[in-house]
Amino acid sequence: MTVRLEDVTVRFGQTVALEGLDLTVAAGETVALLGPSGSGKSTALKAIAGFVRPSRGRIWLAGADVTDVPPARRGIGVVVQQYALFPHLRVADNVAFGLRAARKPKAEVARRVAEVLEMVGMAKYARRYPRELSGGQQQRVAIARALAIQPPVLLLDEPLAALDAQLRADMLGELQKLRREVPDVAIVYVTHDQSEALALADRIAVMRDARLVDIAPAADLYSAPPSAFTASFLGGANLLPVEVVEGGVRLAGQTLAGLRPQAATLPGDAGGASYQGAGRSGAGGRSEALLLCIRPHAIKLSDRVGEADAVGERGEGGGATAGDSWPGVLVGAQWRGASSRLTCVIDGLPAVSVQVDVPTGECLPEVGAKVSIELPVEACTLVAAEGR
Amino acid sequence: MLLWTKPGKIVTWIAFALVFGVLVLAPFIVVAAAAFAGSWNGVFPSSPTTSHLAEALSGDELASLTVSLQTAFLGGLLAVVLGTWAALAARNAPKPLARFADALHHLPIAVPSVVVGLSLLVAFSRQPVLLNGTKWIVVIAHLVLMVAFSYGTVAAALQRTNDAYAEVAASLGASPARVLWQIRLPMLRPAIVSAASLSIALSMGEVGATIMVYPASWRTLPVSVFALTDRGQTFTAAAESLVLLAVTVVLVVTLDRLRGRSVER
Repeated sequence: MTVRLEDVTVRFGQTVALEGLDLTVAAGETVALLGPSGSGKSTALKAIAGFVRPSRGRIWLAGADVTDVPPARRGIGVVVQQYALFPHLRVADNVAFGLRAARKPKAEVARRVAEVLEMVGMAKYARRYPRELSGGQQQRVAIARALAIQPPVLLLDEPLAALDAQLRADMLGELQKLRREVPDVAIVYVTHDQSEALALADRIAVMRDARLVDIAPAADLYSAPPSAFTASFLGGANLLPVEVVEGGVRLAGQTLAGLRPQAATLPGDAGGASYQGAGRSGAGGRSEALLLCIRPHAIKLSDRVGEADAVGERGEGGGATAGDSWPGVLVGAQWRGASSRLTCVIDGLPAVSVQVDVPTGECLPEVGAKVSIELPVEACTLVAAEGR
Repeated sequence: MLLWTKPGKIVTWIAFALVFGVLVLAPFIVVAAAAFAGSWNGVFPSSPTTSHLAEALSGDELASLTVSLQTAFLGGLLAVVLGTWAALAARNAPKPLARFADALHHLPIAVPSVVVGLSLLVAFSRQPVLLNGTKWIVVIAHLVLMVAFSYGTVAAALQRTNDAYAEVAASLGASPARVLWQIRLPMLRPAIVSAASLSIALSMGEVGATIMVYPASWRTLPVSVFALTDRGQTFTAAAESLVLLAVTVVLVVTLDRLRGRSVER
């Protein structure tokens, strides 16, 4: 592994900026540190770069302890948020800075500068000053400057945050392309934008309040989020309070069959047969505070045609009906271009609004209409509620 | 001030012209006129002559000009070096220490220059450091007064610069010395040139402290102007003032050009 953080804690006076972070990043791997502002993700990056000294814990680079090694001797490439291109140096001199600091021969400096500028498509701009470049061009130069020293590790701190939406989408593609050009470099990518993390990262580390919440391959985190925070921060999942019952979970008085808490959600409880007892009384009543997690696009919504039908349907099974449709009311709709975001409330659960994404082109119910909310069981997962 | 009516604008402009004209511009014109006046008995000067100017540019008076220039460059340069150094050091120092340095560097601005001069005179008139009677006591007086301004200018510019530049430079493998000389100082160049130009301009006009400490061998131009006026040689003093004004303006404009170019780059 190229980068290893061991229980890294950073304190500024009384404030804890980062608490006990354990993280490893392998060569060729991209790990995104994802979290809201103040979650400690930038501090983690600064600790790896050597800009802040951890109050506790060790940092390893390629097997060597670098906790007390100054940034100049770590050989890590860093791209900061505002790029920090040296304003008094031309693009080529900016890129050559690290090579000259390493006292590389002139010919080699020139060759390497041309090479990395070519890689980021900025060869034409070598003679320009940074302020003569657009935001996207400055960003490419900043990446070229960081890569010029051939670092084993590249740190990117919110590299797209300063760009406008269209450019951000373009640069995301550029970054993916760049990733393939430096296949052996370990990349740590700090962002608050889940779409950047999903597009670029092999693994995503979700951070919150100076702590690592979850870390897993991007697809796993998305499809089966281990915590409520990850579920809502990564992809804005709906979180609905449920209770574990025999054969499934109970949501607003109705049972959704076939959904079981995972072993991770209920520790020490692997078998399906025993989970019920633990869920009811054992494990400190932990299973009482479970949330059903489902993505807005996975929910199916239909008009409740004929109120009597729906009531009848429910009536058949009485209060304990099993099924995957809940009656509710549509309370709001936002058109978002390719899809519409609908807000619904399930009958009997007035405090929780359910977000549903419906592709444009499908017939939408009127706001205020009674709807049937279908939660396909294969798209549902269970997570523990906050505050454990 | 926002004025929308025409009479209102006219009244303001007249008031501005009166204040600016009478209090700022007129004295300059009078000095220039006096510098070329053979005599001045009526409302206007009469019998124009260049003899005062010739006098101001010869002998003792010319020596005063070179003394002033040397003092300004020596004192100003040292002040800029020390002020920049102090500002850079204070930036990375612990908070209380930085605040103490801040206060210390503002002291010479707050203390009357006569007091600064007197205290230097008392301090350096005896062993172990005997500087009284040498030019160095004048240079030190100027240095003490100018370093405050240099520190203030550079510290203000430093406050606006992001640490990220130095951090990125370090991450690229640059030693602290390389970061200082190739990143920090070049980025501070406009502020440093500003500080130099301010220091030199102030030093060229300094009287209060200089008059307390100057030896006969090291009389600056403003002190000469003061002495001449004191002796009643107003016209020669005026001519010398004109020389002082011209030299200072040329210096400041030249330095400003230098700064302008560095910003443009």
